Amino acid sequence: MTTLANTLMLTGGLIAILAGIGVLRFSTSYARFHAAGKASPVAFLVAAIGASIQLGAAGAASLAIAGGAMVLTLPVGVHLLFRAVHRTSPNDHLITDHLAPAERNQPPSV
Amino acid sequence: MIIAAISCFGIAGLCGTYRLLAGPGLADRVMALDLALISLMGAIAVDSARRNDTTYLALLVVIAIIGFTATVAASKFIEHEHLRHQETNT
Repeated sequence: MTTLANTLMLTGGLIAILAGIGVLRFSTSYARFHAAGKASPVAFLVAAIGASIQLGAAGAASLAIAGGAMVLTLPVGVHLLFRAVHRTSPNDHLITDHLAPAERNQPPSV
Repeated sequence: MIIAAISCFGIAGLCGTYRLLAGPGLADRVMALDLALISLMGAIAVDSARRNDTTYLALLVVIAIIGFTATVAASKFIEHEHLRHQETNT
C-alpha cells in the first residue's frame, strides 16, 4: 500500500516537472497557459490520491476539498487569462482564431 | 522515493519562479505564479503524507482559493488597463 502511495506521489511530481518544462520552454503565451493550466492540476490530483492513501480518511477529506476547489476554479482563471491575452495582444501568429469573430459580433463584456 | 517526489514539485516550482521573474508579459507572470502555487500545494500534500500529519492540509484550500482570486483580479486588471490606454490614445 505504501509502495502504491509513493509511486502515485512520484508520478504526480514527474507530471509537475512536465508542466514546469512546458512553462519554461514554450514560445507563445497560449502554449504556456496550456502547459501550466492542464498538467499542473493533474499533477496535484495524482499526488493527492497518493497522499490520501497514506493518510487515511481524515487526510483524504481535506485533500478532496482542496482538489475539488482547485478543479472547479483553475479552468475559470486560466480561461479569463486566455481571454485577457487574446483581447490585449496581437494574434497574428494564430492559424485559426474562432474567438475574434465571436467577439466582433457583440460588445465586449467586462 | 517520497523525497524525490517533493524534489520534483520543488523543481516545477522553480520553473514557475523563473517564468515569474523573466516572463515577457503580465499574464505570463500570473500563470507562472499559479504554477508555483500548485507546486507548493503538491509539495505540502506529499510532505504531510511523509510525516503522517494532517495539520497543514487546511492550508491547501486557502492556497487554491487565493490563487484563483489573484488570477481573476489580474486578468481583469490586464483588460481594463488595455481599455484605459486605448481611451487615452484616441
